[in-house]
Amino acid sequence: MHILEVENLKTYFFTEAGIVKALDGATFNLEKGTTLGLVGESGSGKSVTSQSVLRIVPKPGKIVSGKILFEGEDILAKSENEMRNYRGKKISLIFQDPTSSLNPLFTIGSQLTEIVTQHEKMKKTEALEHVIKTLKLARLPDPEEEIYRYPHQFSGGMKQRICIARALLLNPQLLFADEPTTNLDVTIQAQILTLLKDLQREVGMTLVMITHDMGIVADMCKYVVVLYGGNVMETGMIETIFEKPHPYTEALLKAVPRLDQTKELVSIPGNIPNLIELPSGCVFHPRCRYAVDACKGNKPPLEEVEADHSIACIRWRELNGGR
Amino acid sequence: MGLAKYVARRLIYMIPLILGISLVSFLVMYSAGDPITIATMGNPMITETEKQFLRHYYGLDLPIPVQYFRWLTNFLTGNFGNSIYGNKPVNQLIASLSWETVKLQLVSIIISFLIAIPAGIYAAVKQRSATDYTVSSISIMGISLPVFFTAVVFILVFSYDLGWFPSAGAHGAPTLWPVFGIRNPILDEIAHLVLPALVLTLASVAYNVRLLRAGMLEVLRQDYIMAAKASGIQERTILYKYALKNAITPLLTLLGLSIGGAIGGAPMTETVFSWPGLGYQFVLAAGRLDFPVVMGITMLITIFILLANLITDLAYAWVDPRVTIE
Repeated sequence: MHILEVENLKTYFFTEAGIVKALDGATFNLEKGTTLGLVGESGSGKSVTSQSVLRIVPKPGKIVSGKILFEGEDILAKSENEMRNYRGKKISLIFQDPTSSLNPLFTIGSQLTEIVTQHEKMKKTEALEHVIKTLKLARLPDPEEEIYRYPHQFSGGMKQRICIARALLLNPQLLFADEPTTNLDVTIQAQILTLLKDLQREVGMTLVMITHDMGIVADMCKYVVVLYGGNVMETGMIETIFEKPHPYTEALLKAVPRLDQTKELVSIPGNIPNLIELPSGCVFHPRCRYAVDACKGNKPPLEEVEADHSIACIRWRELNGGR
Repeated sequence: MGLAKYVARRLIYMIPLILGISLVSFLVMYSAGDPITIATMGNPMITETEKQFLRHYYGLDLPIPVQYFRWLTNFLTGNFGNSIYGNKPVNQLIASLSWETVKLQLVSIIISFLIAIPAGIYAAVKQRSATDYTVSSISIMGISLPVFFTAVVFILVFSYDLGWFPSAGAHGAPTLWPVFGIRNPILDEIAHLVLPALVLTLASVAYNVRLLRAGMLEVLRQDYIMAAKASGIQERTILYKYALKNAITPLLTLLGLSIGGAIGGAPMTETVFSWPGLGYQFVLAAGRLDFPVVMGITMLITIFILLANLITDLAYAWVDPRVTIE
């Protein structure tokens, strides 16, 4: 069963320089209870996807068209008031930088308790108990003492545990983790990833890992959605994607350093596309080593090429058939 | 006790600062001219011997270091000397004028913040909307228009043409100002307060609005605001609790400085409205080179601003847990 269905989602930012097409027709589905990797370079639309699902796209951004179904319910048709019952309660978000995503002027206890009391009919003391319990779940040592501290008194790893606890307070069914380890030390990264993996198993929620790190995807995810320039390039099971990837995914995979191979790293030539003036046809064609003239024509549709594997590339069949 | 030690240290640091400011003001004033010449300018009959007698009487013929030392020893015992005009003790003069100044300033500071906080938040939340442009334009107008201009316009319109409010003084004399035909001492005081307080508020509210708007815009972009929204926190809580507390710190400095500077009055406004306060008195005394009065008010302002700075720093530490008092 699909917990989330995103169809032809367009989220644009109306800036003075022009319309930034952060998401330009993204389509993907999300199986309940699994871990999905949302992959792409910076500016590919990964974060905007999570913000769109929660309908918290910052100004001057706006969801222009498309469909977002959460458990079959049309999210975009909900009123602002109804949306509050989704945010934090059914769908949660962990941010990249735990330092900037905690309010510096309030104790973590007060910040987390506020979330509980605004959603559940609970007394302050009960809510605080619940906060402590959730902080324990996120493996924060001594939460009974720590709730009276301010964010700056914690290390980065501890802050991310607090943020994870904040996202889990109301037992959401769906959790977006937006590059949750990018701003942390390598050793802490491993701990946080293990924690997320354990929690997903313990709580049984659906997890979306937003990342540009193919290593994390290989380690944690069952399904992958590859975004590029606001478009979905490829979706599928992790094995199929690693085996017969879209040309963009293939380029991404080649750019990952590996300890067991001495092959040279291949970077993707060129830059991420200008989102105000997207390239015609396939948005990746200016940087694609397989691009032909036909790629500049129409935008390739996302097609199911094999079971659990969809690709937006007109040359994929030809390239993979020939190999 | 870190706090007591910190406050004690800050108070001790103020002593050299106060002494330095007193010395500079003293020197500047003495290089400005001779008060006796100014005082006797309108009297053609006065002889040079009589002027010399006056200078000797006020101790103005002594060498400047000696005069400063005499003034300083008196000042340290709390004696500000006697005014050259009227020969009144400066302490009493200041005490009698302070209340009117403090009343006017407090009213305008409070109104200014009461207007600025919602206006600044609203302008920031509705950025680039018609409301934002209106609020911002009025702010720029408030900043650009000089007090002596708005004050005169207000007097012309509301006092001279419409006759709603009195144009001068803090109290009706000899009769009370009628408010809706009622002559009551309290209503009279309020009626006198309206125009000068309005002019002062207009001048300061604009700065406050712009500062808070900029602060809110900055804060509303922060991740923790989006995180609060993503957690389903109500808009009201986010704006008035989470964002405001972060955005208000620069305003706190301004509040501290305006309260500190308030005791000096608003010389321009008080002069236009002949307000019997310290600012007006300061302008009068400076024009007459009435040294003891000018020095007395200067020192009072100095001490108040230094204390207000200390209180502002303490308030910072109270609002922001990241600021530690060391």
